[in-house]
Amino acid sequence: MSSKIASPKLHSAAWRISFWASLAFAFGTLLVFFFLQQFVEQDIQRRSDAWLSGEVEVLGNVATRTPKDTLYGRVVGEVAELAGREVPNKLPSENDTNDSVFFLQRGSDNSLRLWVGAGSGQDTLNAISNTTMIPDQPTDVRVKGFGIPFRVACIRVDDGSRIYLGLSERDELRVLRSLRIRFLLWWLLIVLFGFAIVFLTTKRMLSHVRRITEAASRIGHADLNTRVPTTKRNDEVAQLALTLNRMLDRIESSMHQLHTITDSLAHDLRSPLTAIRGKLEMSLSAGNHGEQSEPVVSAIEELDRLTEFLNQSLDVAEARADALRLTRTEINLDELLRVMTDLYEPSMADKGLQIRLHSAHPITIEADASLIHRMIANLFDNELKHLPAACTITIRLQNDEDSVSIVFEDDGPGFSADVIPLLFERRVKGKESNGHGLGLAFIDAVARAHGGTVSACNREKGGAQVNVTLPLMSGLNNGSPIGMVHAAH
Amino acid sequence: MRLLLVEDELDIQHFLRRSLEEAGYQVEAASDGKTAERLAIDGAFDILIVDLGLPDQDGITLILRLRQLGVRAPVLILSARRSVDDRVRGLEQGGDDYLTKPFALAELLARVRNLLKRNNPRASEATRLRVLDLELDLLRREASRSGQMLQLTPQEFVLLEYFCRNAGRVVTRSMILDQVWGMRIHPDTNVVDVHIYRLRGKVDSNGQQPLIRTLRGVGYVLKDR
Repeated sequence: MSSKIASPKLHSAAWRISFWASLAFAFGTLLVFFFLQQFVEQDIQRRSDAWLSGEVEVLGNVATRTPKDTLYGRVVGEVAELAGREVPNKLPSENDTNDSVFFLQRGSDNSLRLWVGAGSGQDTLNAISNTTMIPDQPTDVRVKGFGIPFRVACIRVDDGSRIYLGLSERDELRVLRSLRIRFLLWWLLIVLFGFAIVFLTTKRMLSHVRRITEAASRIGHADLNTRVPTTKRNDEVAQLALTLNRMLDRIESSMHQLHTITDSLAHDLRSPLTAIRGKLEMSLSAGNHGEQSEPVVSAIEELDRLTEFLNQSLDVAEARADALRLTRTEINLDELLRVMTDLYEPSMADKGLQIRLHSAHPITIEADASLIHRMIANLFDNELKHLPAACTITIRLQNDEDSVSIVFEDDGPGFSADVIPLLFERRVKGKESNGHGLGLAFIDAVARAHGGTVSACNREKGGAQVNVTLPLMSGLNNGSPIGMVHAAH
Repeated sequence: MRLLLVEDELDIQHFLRRSLEEAGYQVEAASDGKTAERLAIDGAFDILIVDLGLPDQDGITLILRLRQLGVRAPVLILSARRSVDDRVRGLEQGGDDYLTKPFALAELLARVRNLLKRNNPRASEATRLRVLDLELDLLRREASRSGQMLQLTPQEFVLLEYFCRNAGRVVTRSMILDQVWGMRIHPDTNVVDVHIYRLRGKVDSNGQQPLIRTLRGVGYVLKDR
């Protein structure tokens, strides 16, 4: 009955939904960014390759046309230097020297004929010699002393020499890196933003579900006129609330009907009982308390027993239908058991029975005082009626975190085997019993109405045991830990 | 003491009227709400006994209406219903009382008396009670009979005090359970009788005139004459 709605943030559905949604979203966007970056990288590569191929062709032409005199080196060098200034994606380098482009002419005898660029021409030549170059297709070349590889295009000149034009990939990598960083930042921002939106939306939606749950759990046996909160929106949650409320309407109406039936039954039986009892009492008080009054006296006693039987029967019937009306007040079970023990002790002693009460500390529950009193009196009555002399009854009151148990044990003959499976049925009693057979059914009914349970069995050591367990937290509480507070006393 | 009895079941009305008159009340009776309203406004009553199931209107509606009309007398509500209406609880808190049918006459009379007493509270509460040769000191929680101290347990003292406060009047087992042990239960065993038996053994010991009488089928009475 009692529902634990306490939900740590990490276990809430809102958290789970937004976590998985954001994970899927993050993965998706990451994939998109990856392909986008791939595309940009290829495009940059393509552009710089086109530039390299074009420039190396121009340089080849220049080298072919320029006469091979002393000015040759200078002319070609100037042209190469000029080409270096038009590098695509160029970023200013730290020092003034142009270290992002080199020009190299290799003679047919593998000697360095011309070198324009930063660093040593021989190292570059060695690097180029170690790399297999495909004509008309720029290739990556790693040069000693440079962390970043060069993209190198090559053209063959008529005199058998080759002209190489190299472009450092530094700028290209820098562009890509800054692109990646930007992508990553945006991705992070979008994912966080998406998470926040999903979390807040689901949380808002689920908080409504939570309110419905809270309200529904507050609606106990007796409190059927409360309804769960509804909203004006017409979404699934609102539908849920409406459906719940319609269901509660139906339950309330059938409860109401049941109450009308038991009320009118009680009324129709109690009115004549009142008249009969009154007349019997009048005939007694007429002054004849002699021998003749004996039948009248026993008639009154029978009538009182009948009344109590009627009350308990209706209580049991209503409890079976979960329709017993409770008026909850605070009851200290420890104190109640002490008073009851005091009340029953003389009768028990007269029959040669002993009572032992084990109850360590006050335990308070919120329950219907009249029903709980009658239930416990019933437990005592059962022992008093059924135990033979010289037996001991042990009553224990104990509690754990969220429930309290009242245990009645005796060392008598126990329940006879034929009634054990039927103990909680109405009108079941042992052969020697002179009760009306409602006792345990009534105890069960009261416990059930309070959200508790009753178990009855024969102990291994002999004797009967009846164990009534009631929740410390009443079903009517909206999750506030009243029971905990009391348990801590 | 003038008393208005509103009860539609004539059988019940008759025996209630008779026993209330025997107890010394001046009783007017009504069988429906309309008559009751007319009577209540015309005559000044000290107390009203109202059954909830009237043929022409609900008993609580009648009580609330009478209150509006300025009838201040306390009300004892009789009901054969199972559930106690919230409005009845409201009235109960307002100083009225409630009794479920069927009831013992002694209990009805006791409740009527209590309601009247509540309405005219006595100025000072006695600290000593005396019934014939039985004397109770309420402060020292001591009881004596003919000057002889009685060895009572605290529980027995409370029981004897209840008897003394109702000396000469019948008290039922239910009333004793309610007033002395604070429980409205109806055990089908003789728990109360055993307590009375023990108390009687101490109060009416060695050939003294017995004070606590058993009225079988009714209850007990502490003799005051």
